[in-house]
Amino acid sequence: MSLLTSLARLRALDEGIAQPIATVRHFHLSQRPMVFIPLKLSGEAAAPLAAMLGSDRERPHLFVVTQPRNRDLRFAWTAEVAGVLLPYIESFTNDTETVERRNADPYERALDAPQIIVPNQAGVAFTRLLGRSTRFRSTEGPYPVPESVPLLGRWLTYFAERAAYPGSSLMPAATEELGRHWASGQSGLEDANLAALLGWITTGPSDEAEDPLIWPPAGPATDPGFDAEVLAPAIESESAERITEALRTQLEPTWRLMWQAIDLLAALPEGASVAQRWEQDRGSFSGMAVHISEGAPPQARRDGAVAAAAKLARMERAQAAYDVQRAYDDPLVMAEYRLTGEAFAGEVVETVPDNTEGEGRSRKLRPLVVIKTDDPVLLPPGTSLGTPQRRGQGAELVEAGQGLVTLKITKGMGRGKTPAPGAVPEIGERVCYTSLTDDFQGSPALPEAEATPWTHGGPPQEYVPDDEDAQEEWS
Amino acid sequence: MSDRLDDLERRIDELRAGVRKAMRVRDGATARVLRAELRSAERAWDALVSGEQPRAKEEPQAPRAGQVTVREQVHQGLRLLGAAAQPRLIVAVSDAFFGGTIRSSRLTSLRRDEERSFRSSPFGRPYYLCAALTDRLSPARGLLTLSTWPLERRVVGPLSPRVDFLTCAIAIAEQESQDERAVRLLVRMARNIPGATDGSLGPPDPARVVEAARAELRVHAERDTRDRAELAQRAVAQLGDAARLFGAATLSTIKKEKAE
Amino acid sequence: MSGLKREGDHVHRLEALRGITPQQPHDARAIAALAANPGCTRRALMDGAGIDKDAAARHLGFPAPFGQSPFAITRGNMFEALVKADGCAELLRMLRELLGLPVAEVSYHDVENVGAHLRHAHTRALIDRAAREGQDAGTLYDHPLLSLDIAGHTAYLEPDVVAFQLGGRFHIVEIKSFAVIDGQADPSAVAAAARQAAVYVLALRNLLEELGHDPLKVSHDVVLVCPENFANRPVATLVDVRKQLAVLRRQLTRMTTLDRLLEELPDDLSFDLRPDEDGRPTRPVAELADALRRTTARYAPDCLSACDLCFFCRDEARQEGASDLLGRQVRDELGGVASVAEALGLADGTRDPAEGQEEIARLLRNAERLRRECLN
Repeated sequence: MSLLTSLARLRALDEGIAQPIATVRHFHLSQRPMVFIPLKLSGEAAAPLAAMLGSDRERPHLFVVTQPRNRDLRFAWTAEVAGVLLPYIESFTNDTETVERRNADPYERALDAPQIIVPNQAGVAFTRLLGRSTRFRSTEGPYPVPESVPLLGRWLTYFAERAAYPGSSLMPAATEELGRHWASGQSGLEDANLAALLGWITTGPSDEAEDPLIWPPAGPATDPGFDAEVLAPAIESESAERITEALRTQLEPTWRLMWQAIDLLAALPEGASVAQRWEQDRGSFSGMAVHISEGAPPQARRDGAVAAAAKLARMERAQAAYDVQRAYDDPLVMAEYRLTGEAFAGEVVETVPDNTEGEGRSRKLRPLVVIKTDDPVLLPPGTSLGTPQRRGQGAELVEAGQGLVTLKITKGMGRGKTPAPGAVPEIGERVCYTSLTDDFQGSPALPEAEATPWTHGGPPQEYVPDDEDAQEEWS
Repeated sequence: MSDRLDDLERRIDELRAGVRKAMRVRDGATARVLRAELRSAERAWDALVSGEQPRAKEEPQAPRAGQVTVREQVHQGLRLLGAAAQPRLIVAVSDAFFGGTIRSSRLTSLRRDEERSFRSSPFGRPYYLCAALTDRLSPARGLLTLSTWPLERRVVGPLSPRVDFLTCAIAIAEQESQDERAVRLLVRMARNIPGATDGSLGPPDPARVVEAARAELRVHAERDTRDRAELAQRAVAQLGDAARLFGAATLSTIKKEKAE
Repeated sequence: MSGLKREGDHVHRLEALRGITPQQPHDARAIAALAANPGCTRRALMDGAGIDKDAAARHLGFPAPFGQSPFAITRGNMFEALVKADGCAELLRMLRELLGLPVAEVSYHDVENVGAHLRHAHTRALIDRAAREGQDAGTLYDHPLLSLDIAGHTAYLEPDVVAFQLGGRFHIVEIKSFAVIDGQADPSAVAAAARQAAVYVLALRNLLEELGHDPLKVSHDVVLVCPENFANRPVATLVDVRKQLAVLRRQLTRMTTLDRLLEELPDDLSFDLRPDEDGRPTRPVAELADALRRTTARYAPDCLSACDLCFFCRDEARQEGASDLLGRQVRDELGGVASVAEALGLADGTRDPAEGQEEIARLLRNAERLRRECLN
């Protein structure tokens, strides 16, 4: 958290209403999102209890495991959930575009991709466990499950893994996304309560939000009081209807909150780089769909050493790119860097548009720009700069002091003797420059999987799920 | 009908909230009253939904002729095992080999009933389900034995829990049952005996389980036999008939020890 | 001599604080939680006096937001019973695999076989014998009862199992029902288990020391037993609790300095709940709240998962407009500006920075300027 966000939280506390910390929406919001609210049985690792899900806010599906300790019923439940999620996921695989690549064959990319929204981080974690507990199940042998169960397991695993990928919008958690755009007047810990956070954003805080009798927890854990007073006797009664109705009372309030959250986020204009990240999501989704259709085995229980290192490096690059893109897309995010001296904004007070460097053939156009700023500039001369106003351009800091910064534009000026119209900022224009740039170092040089050094376990064996995976005990 | 259902649902919601509010302020009395009302409302709702008349709570049924009583089922289980055992193991054995129907929860009061029966007319029954005796000659927690066994088999020294476990494993393996429940039980026991399985997932070879359990038994046998003999002697010397079967009360044992 | 007398005075003072309210015993979880917020005077005093904070919070109208589901409790009990079934057959398998326990070492003592009031003495005797005799003493001690002195009174603690004969050292065995999936468990659950186990390690070490044995005979590696993947099959892992032990020791030392806190208290201060015959508190709520407010709390959002009084203290922090409400990160970021009004005053420029606040004031003013610029 930055000081800027801390200040917003203080302001929120003082004014009794959440404060914006973003001016645009930093994630892709689908036209047709799938809301997924799973509940689990307390005390168990991955025993599903119920789920409310659907892409139509008027018609949620409710699936309940009426005897949570019965494994057959659990898998029957998973098959029911698959009956809604799989057709939704598969509906995005047909419409594709062909993407040309340098040094590689062109590939097909889905024009749109599924988006499964869960209430909170714990919902993502539970999705991962559901995936882990179902993707290895076998459709034949001692404890056969319907074909859709292991297939759903692979997709859930994929979505939950993708949720950890910075900037991905395939499986957003509502509280996370809300918290990225508004600062409440409570702690981050309390923001994990969807009802409380939405309360801060819409009407201001209220004690009701924390009363499980009024707003049941958004899952996957249920309210212990509900477990003791309602659910346990209902399960004991063995009345499927009673159990179902009891769980409906715990899910319906969250269902309404989820759509309220979606509406709030939809009202924000989309950030400029969101489409680019969604394009990556679409590519990743298409890759997974091909993977599955080609009959590749389910994801391994654990990554090999090289795969894990490569994944980590990819995630770090994605995180850096995501941070920079948000700053370029959103002046309020950029303000954090202005506060720490890594960016500055102000008014152009002087320009030398036709300034050149070098002689003869190597003579290049290097326009100079002087900016008056109130920001503390802590960047040394020679620092490479970028600007959200002209993303193709690069500049270099010449000198800074006394509230004035001189820089020269070094990239994106073309070959002409004079700059193209609009290429150099005009006097009086407000501009922002930053040392953050979106060009990152390439991938680290990692060995091929076959060349994994012995210190890292040697080359991994190709993952082939065995009987042990399929017959894994389930209680 | 749906009007009545709606009313009931509203009432149920109110009662639930009331119960939980009462629970929160630890007002047990109110909670109990509300809970009782809640249960009857829920029963009425169930009945209305399923079109049944609300019925009174089922009375526990007396055993009919030809039906094996819980007491007899436990007896069968213990006879097969041949060693002191916990209720959950007895239930599993009864389930796997005798098509038993006991629930462990019903075993808790069994020993008390047996003791009561013995005290009112000593040795009036051919056998009693009774306690295992600890090194303080008190009843061991959660272990059942048969009165027909020699005392040495009914006392537990420090090594006895392991010895009894191995004895039970041998008894189960020797049944060589193909029944799925029996195999599952054997798998569970075998994995805790060194060398009893070949590490594969399949059902263990009963002969191998017996052999492995016997091998480990040989390690413990001498000391366990000595401990048990010593305990049995003390039990004979210090305890009356009832206490020999059902264990001495802890405090009295201590007083006796102090008096010596 | 005077030291002894002083100590007696403080015990007396703590008793006075408690009044006629029965003393609330500490368990390992509560002691581990003590270590979570050592700077909180209110908590230190209430725990020192042995006041039931849960009862106090309910009486004040701020019941704690946590409870345990009956499903979780049942599951925990079932799993523990499974690990200990048949003479701890599963536990022996794991100890043999994990720590190379010799096959001959199977001796089992259920400390609970003696009457409840004798359990602690019996545990002492068994542990003493094991530490003295080594080889022929027991291997597994089920339901032992240990003790630990907390701020002048004794807390009794019940570890799941103590195992001996693993290289001549005692190991605490902690049985938990959260799952280990593909070798990974919920880190916060593991951390909580480690903190709790550290309390047992410390108590057992103290016991050995009292008996004249080497306290380091108790290993700092505890055996954590959890269900593996999605089955009930238990799996054991060694967890090094040296760090948790160090933190715990430090906090307990601080707790023994309660006397300083007590000296500063007004003489008439009392936390007595004045329970009636049924144990229901009868003390006027406003009076109790007032008494609590005369001691300093250090509220942090972390309290919400650890302390029964959290909602009361949060409410107080709200009324005071304390920036602690927003969490440690915000507090650190504000570098010592404690109140919301003060921080906002510095940001708006309506308040002059005190000495040492110049830098944070400059940052806050800048931040405020930037937010206004971007949002208008």
